[in-house]
Amino acid sequence: MWTTALVSGISLGSFYILIALGFALIFGVTRNFNLAHGELVVFAGYVSYWLWKVWAWPFVLTFPAAVLATLLICLGLQRLFARLCEPLELNSIVLSFGMAILIQNTMLFWFSGDYRLIRIPTLSQGLHLPGLYLSYGQVTLLFLSLSMIAILYILMYRTYLGKALRATIQDKEAAAQAGINVAGMGTLAFCLGAILIGLAGPLYGCTHYLYPSTGHQITLLAVTITIFAGVGRLGGIILAGWILGLAESFAVILCGASWREMVAAVLLLTLLAFKPRGILGKGEQ
Amino acid sequence: MTVLQLQELSKTFNGISALSNIDFTINEGEIVGLVGPNGAGKTTLFNLISGRLRPSTGKILFEGKDITGFKPHAVCKLGISRTFQSSRPFSRMSTLHNVLTGQVFGKGFSLHIRPEDEQMAHELLDVVGIAHKAETLAADLTLSEQRRLDLARALATRPKLLLLDEVAAGFSPVLVKQAIKLINRVRERGVTLLIVDHFLNLSLKVADRLLALDHGEKIAEGPPNIIMRNREVLRAYLGMRYPDEEDD
Amino acid sequence: MSFFASKNTKLNTRGLKFDSVGLVTGLVLLIILPALVKSNNYILQVFTHALLLANLALAWNILGVSGSISLGHAAFFGAGAYCSAVLSLEYGLSSWLTIPLAGLLAAGLGLIMNLICLRLRGAYFALATLAFVEIPRVITDNWDELTHGSLGLVSLPGLPSLSLGTWSVDFSASIMASYYFVFAFSLVLLGLVRFLFNSNLGLAFQAIREEEIAAEAVGISANRYRLLSLLLSAFFTGVSGACYAHLVRYIEPGLVYGLHFSAIPMIFAICGGRFTILGPAMAALIIYPLDQFVFHPLLPAGHEFLYGVVLILTVLFLPAGFWGSLRKIF
Repeated sequence: MWTTALVSGISLGSFYILIALGFALIFGVTRNFNLAHGELVVFAGYVSYWLWKVWAWPFVLTFPAAVLATLLICLGLQRLFARLCEPLELNSIVLSFGMAILIQNTMLFWFSGDYRLIRIPTLSQGLHLPGLYLSYGQVTLLFLSLSMIAILYILMYRTYLGKALRATIQDKEAAAQAGINVAGMGTLAFCLGAILIGLAGPLYGCTHYLYPSTGHQITLLAVTITIFAGVGRLGGIILAGWILGLAESFAVILCGASWREMVAAVLLLTLLAFKPRGILGKGEQ
Repeated sequence: MTVLQLQELSKTFNGISALSNIDFTINEGEIVGLVGPNGAGKTTLFNLISGRLRPSTGKILFEGKDITGFKPHAVCKLGISRTFQSSRPFSRMSTLHNVLTGQVFGKGFSLHIRPEDEQMAHELLDVVGIAHKAETLAADLTLSEQRRLDLARALATRPKLLLLDEVAAGFSPVLVKQAIKLINRVRERGVTLLIVDHFLNLSLKVADRLLALDHGEKIAEGPPNIIMRNREVLRAYLGMRYPDEEDD
Repeated sequence: MSFFASKNTKLNTRGLKFDSVGLVTGLVLLIILPALVKSNNYILQVFTHALLLANLALAWNILGVSGSISLGHAAFFGAGAYCSAVLSLEYGLSSWLTIPLAGLLAAGLGLIMNLICLRLRGAYFALATLAFVEIPRVITDNWDELTHGSLGLVSLPGLPSLSLGTWSVDFSASIMASYYFVFAFSLVLLGLVRFLFNSNLGLAFQAIREEEIAAEAVGISANRYRLLSLLLSAFFTGVSGACYAHLVRYIEPGLVYGLHFSAIPMIFAICGGRFTILGPAMAALIIYPLDQFVFHPLLPAGHEFLYGVVLILTVLFLPAGFWGSLRKIF
């Protein structure tokens, strides 16, 4: 039982990392908190569901479609974020809160509140290994999440563009002075975020039930992981995602599934109360 | 009578020493100028005295009472007020109400603004010379008027000791003269003053004593004319070398 | 325009006049509403709910005016609702008693929130409130012996009745009676908010909102005044939650701790005018009926998009809120 919890914790955690990466990237580069993040993931999931269910697309092909749809929306959202004035963090929270409600209700209108699931039979089958059961769904989650993380890592740490991104995250003004197109970096961050969301959505849709109001929980996860990691630390996000995934898995085993939703909230509150700059971040001056 | 006593005061940030071992006394009715080049620790010292920062070691005694580590609002209630390097008025309040905040909260508390509070506030606006702007929104004042508003607001808290941070920075000689008049008017009200003055255009003319800092350490204290001929002070400001010193 | 812009300039006298005109008009309309609509129960119910939301918006704004934005005020609403529900259902206490007790419990919850969020400002405080609401929700959801968990509580006692000598009125007897009960509470709350904002407490709230460091330097303890605004805000939100419980006589965790009661009061406060007295109430009384009478029939699912749109428009184009902006013009 504990090995199952461990495995599910790691695979869930890897998925959480994927979800959080987009959020953290956008926040790091543009200092905008996008509280509509969860709703966007659900939206991407719905796009995939719609194509798969209504238009009988093969599930794999829904991924690029979901990415494209999310990209379009995110670029639109970015236009709105760009109009904000200081304080950016707070104003973006309020703005994106409104966006979240708008997106949530659009999905409610489009799909009603019924629970939807992209049922891919192969995913629920799995491998029977000694001592644990590993579903193909979990393997896919793990594999896709880790690949995306690896690709993002290579982008951020091995390319010049990534260097520019990291510079913008560290110090926007200094980056601007060094000749980096900061506004362009912001757009890039939104695009990368949209891609990550667009990939996470269909994955979410085949492993969890889709319903409009579930976006809220996803946003909370993304926020918790981002705050845990501190600004601009990819390693911190990986660590945070796994810790959160494991914490939730073990909480379910120890206390029951109904307490799961409180884990992220308690973790976030603890972080904010004691270490708002993140576990690996610098201390307060 | 001793108003303020600093005993072995130091402050370090992440291992870097901003102030070390400051021993200094301010007496009642004095005007003391705090001078030193950039990064000498003047603003840090202000922040320690006014309670915005906690000292790493040492003590601050105000009228004999140990106020080390007291929060800014508590320090204010005891009788120390300050202005800031860049003016911080409450922009969406009227000038009068800005001063009234000091009047109402500086010592104690009342639920409503009383007539005597308004009267006091008007009087203070008159002292600093912006009485005609009482009803103007603070955001609509000129920079110089905002500075004077900050001063009036700080005075409204009835301080015994007033810390003025760069009150004359960037002032033309005419404005400096006005500032000197203002400061003397403040002194006449019985307020002891500690003035930070990086450019020295003010403190040399108005201070009784100077305290000179460099790299967080006290390098000299005394009357202005003596301090300004002090070798250490000149070297801190101008980097002068003397023939009988060894080269670094 | 804030209350302390000035008492005497032409500018603020106009603002005050506008306020008074709006207030009197609104009050008159609300008092005669049941007669106007010939006791149409549906319309009355909508306006009762609108008044409840107005109360919530006013309560939220008590915290908002000191500079904090809370995204999780439903924590207090739900706690108040459940407190009053459980006390009146299980222990048979009168609602006159359980409603204020509910407010006190909510205020206690606010005290706990303050301990956690003491050093948080701005965006980080807002995020903390987003997380905080999950805690009472999940606890309520799982504490089956006390709250029946996700099944909710049904057949709750209604609003209380008032007897003065020979005259008595049972506020749960009719929709109209409930309407006047909530309306009376609105009047009380409005009066209190006006007193608060015009007093020196309001001066302190504005000071810490605008320049916390300068406020501390003139003797205002930001932590203390922030706590005060939070406790008051939580108390009245809890009381509103209790009223809600006795009004609809059925509650469940997902509902009373849900986004609806966190988001909508906040949206009304911001869209009406976060730094005004009447703005939040005005927004509630205009936007909620608009949502219910116009958009709900058109879009049975998804009509609440209106709140998202209104919030986005306010943040981007009219930060002072519509009532705040109107005050500036008139």
